[in-house]
Amino acid sequence: MNLDSMRRYATDEVVDAVVIGTGAGGAPLLARLAAAGLKVVALEAGPNFDPARFAFDETLADEIYWTEERLSGGTTPEAFGANNSGTGVGGSTLHWGAFTPRADQRDLKLRTETGEGIDWPLDYDDLKPFYEQVEGFIGVSGPAAYPWDSQRRYPLSPVPRNAPARIMAQACEGLGIRVADAPAAVVSRDFAQEGGGTRKACINCGFCHQGCRNGAKTSMDVTYLPLAVAHGAEIRPMCRVHGTERDGMGRITAVTYRQDGTERRQRCAAVFLCAGAVESPRLLLHLGLANGSGQVGRNYMGHVATQVWGTFAGEVRMNRGYPSSLISEDMVRPADADFAGGYLMQSLGVLPLTFGNTVARSRGLWGPALTDYLARYNHFAGIGINGETLPCDANVLTLSDEVDAFGVPKARIDFGYGPNEDRLNDHATRTMTAIWEAAGASDIWVAQRVAHTLGTCRMGRDGDTAVVDSFGRSFEVPNLWISDGSTFPSSLSANPALTIMALSLRTAEAFLKAR
Amino acid sequence: MSNASASPPPTLFCLHFLGGSAREWEDTKRYLDPHLICIPLDLPGFGDAAHIARTSVDEMADYVVDRIAERGQSRWWIAGHSMGAKIALVIARRAEDGDPKLAGLDGLVLLAGSPPSPEPMSDDKRRDMIAWISADEKTRTLQAGAFIDQNTGAPLNEAARIAAIDDVLRADPKAWTAWLQEGSREDWRRRIGILRTPALVLSGSKDADLGPAAQICLMLPHLANARHVVIEGGSHLLPIECPKAVADLICEMRTLPIAVASDPACVLDSYASLIASHRVNSRLRTALAARASAGSAPYRPCVLDAVEFSILRALIDRVLPQSSDACIDIGARIEVRLSDGSGDGWRFADLPSDGEAYAAALRTLDAAARATHGIGFTALPDETKGALITAVAAGELPTVAGDLDGRQMMKWFEDLRSDAVRIYLAHPAALARLGFSGIGAGGDDVADMPGFSEFRIDSREPWEPIPEVEAGR
Repeated sequence: MNLDSMRRYATDEVVDAVVIGTGAGGAPLLARLAAAGLKVVALEAGPNFDPARFAFDETLADEIYWTEERLSGGTTPEAFGANNSGTGVGGSTLHWGAFTPRADQRDLKLRTETGEGIDWPLDYDDLKPFYEQVEGFIGVSGPAAYPWDSQRRYPLSPVPRNAPARIMAQACEGLGIRVADAPAAVVSRDFAQEGGGTRKACINCGFCHQGCRNGAKTSMDVTYLPLAVAHGAEIRPMCRVHGTERDGMGRITAVTYRQDGTERRQRCAAVFLCAGAVESPRLLLHLGLANGSGQVGRNYMGHVATQVWGTFAGEVRMNRGYPSSLISEDMVRPADADFAGGYLMQSLGVLPLTFGNTVARSRGLWGPALTDYLARYNHFAGIGINGETLPCDANVLTLSDEVDAFGVPKARIDFGYGPNEDRLNDHATRTMTAIWEAAGASDIWVAQRVAHTLGTCRMGRDGDTAVVDSFGRSFEVPNLWISDGSTFPSSLSANPALTIMALSLRTAEAFLKAR
Repeated sequence: MSNASASPPPTLFCLHFLGGSAREWEDTKRYLDPHLICIPLDLPGFGDAAHIARTSVDEMADYVVDRIAERGQSRWWIAGHSMGAKIALVIARRAEDGDPKLAGLDGLVLLAGSPPSPEPMSDDKRRDMIAWISADEKTRTLQAGAFIDQNTGAPLNEAARIAAIDDVLRADPKAWTAWLQEGSREDWRRRIGILRTPALVLSGSKDADLGPAAQICLMLPHLANARHVVIEGGSHLLPIECPKAVADLICEMRTLPIAVASDPACVLDSYASLIASHRVNSRLRTALAARASAGSAPYRPCVLDAVEFSILRALIDRVLPQSSDACIDIGARIEVRLSDGSGDGWRFADLPSDGEAYAAALRTLDAAARATHGIGFTALPDETKGALITAVAAGELPTVAGDLDGRQMMKWFEDLRSDAVRIYLAHPAALARLGFSGIGAGGDDVADMPGFSEFRIDSREPWEPIPEVEAGR
């Protein structure tokens, strides 16, 4: 994004807030605080990209993924990098799928409902105004009537259904499963972006995960960040935060970081840590900060993100169009569930490398079977889920004894499914397989996959059991706030980014009110 | 014998085996003349150079370099038999690295060669050979005869046999012992790397330790451009046993030059046209061209040694087989990734860093092949390789001390499959095989990109590529 004429602050000036990370957690609050007239500086570990350089290629897109090494342990080790971790001005929204369901209100009170998991310290009604605000601001496309929420209205008409969505819709109709055009943060028509220019309508290229070239897909660098800069925020790319300075009261007085090999220090009155559910707890653990509860790093969660794939006689060409253009929320509480919570379903169109990687890792094909199977790319279509993962003691982020190039220990993430995830996964696999059988797919197979990074700095009602309150404020360090997926006490069945943005705005309002 | 080409005959320097001398080449020399000018040399400690005490591989190579430089040939080849082959490899490495004394090297001939790896030989055998060479005269004579007989297939004629035994007996026992204890055990794998010089590798079907399998597993990995010929019935003393066959094969190198290997994967014309069109952006076009040309020079591995690298290639040939006329060198590209340290953002906590994991896993696979079948992985028939890979995939490869266990091998194999597939599918030749249209979503003008507007099943737009299988290629 263009940062040429942004306002700049001196490092020895005490700015009102430093925001660490410019993704879905950091950008909305940066814009809100700047709009309120605050002096704010965002420190982004990655580079600043011109979206026009993105090139419709999965390998060239490595530049927008966080490819520094993390160690994945546990019984279902999770993949990072392109699977869920971004870098650059805009963070993981540069590569996210822009699939924007809202949280189901039952998921926020899972403990009350089922005795499993944990309740969030806030209600759906606390989030709803922020959901609406975000959806309107970033331009979410969606169906005129949303089958699972009669009151919901999306600002833009849906993007076209790709071939996998068409196949899934037809099969679900036969099976009595309700589907709808997916809510997608992709503008289906030219869109005048508040605080920025015009975002061109989606061209249905299918490369959402490789960086959107024309701004049709919402990423922070074409939505909240231009607004933030317009209101006087400064964004500093290539700045890796590795420390803080604190006063006798425990308040953070400055953030230390490295930029172009030089150590720098920005003085500040408050800090917003928005580096995601791996880098945020990693920094806190490294600094021994805000962890009086002992909860930092605990209850790491990835979503159950199993996929079912099949081969179709006709040409599908699943690379064409918005990749996940159909949704079903019918399984958020399936009638025959033997597990707590539920899952969303979506149709899947996936590009060759990503698909081939899934085939290689999850299907385990090798030999001529592998080469021959890949050659049938134009005939594949898939369905996937995003399923509830309960918080669990065994799932934890810790610091390994290996260090990175900055001398900071690498994160080790242990993650595994418990009985609830296994039962949910079995149910979802049966459901998706039935849909693909009804659709006439041949050679149906199941890909086990874990998606997203959540938990590790959970929000809660008190400092003994949680790291932050429901607004993201640290119980321990009075001027530290956390805004990203790390504060999620439970995973929800919805994909997280929209909720992260809504929570970010909520955090900003709380911060402004408390001043 | 084939006709030599019109160019003047090159000089062939010839290095002998342990216990041999320049004399072992006499018959071969006769057959080579006049197609090549054959110059057999005595190595220090042997033959007429028995009094010269230079026993390490480097020292022996220094000695030979001086003999080659004295001749001042503008164009020369070097042949090495057994022990001599290891010296010849060192000289070839120095020549390729630009040693001015060694300008003009055009060809390598390696006969039953001792490889850059420590030579495969049992400790008992080493001990016996060291014992009798310094024993009393009667024992020496008896054992020298047995040594020559053990290393030949069909019995030699008596004159040749007597000459060979005589050479063993006139060798300096110190040089003999030094080779067995040290020289043959020196590890030159990383220093030799992969040589570009065209190389003829000869092995005898009856050779025990340095026969065809050892040449495939330990010698060929170091040669980018090699032809391996197995001499049926031959054992270890090939120049003495079958000088005519050896000479014929060497001469053939002149008339039938050894092909220089390159990455033959080429992109279907229609797909190349799409890449060249306005639908594809310049950055992508440049990247696809770079990927297509990346394999045109022989690759020299940096993280893996040449033997490990050859196991990787042999494994990938089974894991992601491609047609031989359009084969992307996936192994080289994986090695590039290992050496530049670029990762994909995570690794299994149970595995060491990627470079270490690859090296350890390939050693483990090779050790399992040797434990189960008696020969290294690369020399196994495809079916047998497949059985081992099946065991790896199932986490059932027997654990070999000091390296990865079965569970780790299973995880590493998942990483390998992923690396191989992602490199394969980044290559334009592979995208053409798929008939992938995504690259054509738009060119350089981001305000005016065509994208896609047709999403129905079986609704290919006219410009969209057809998969090669369906196009009948």
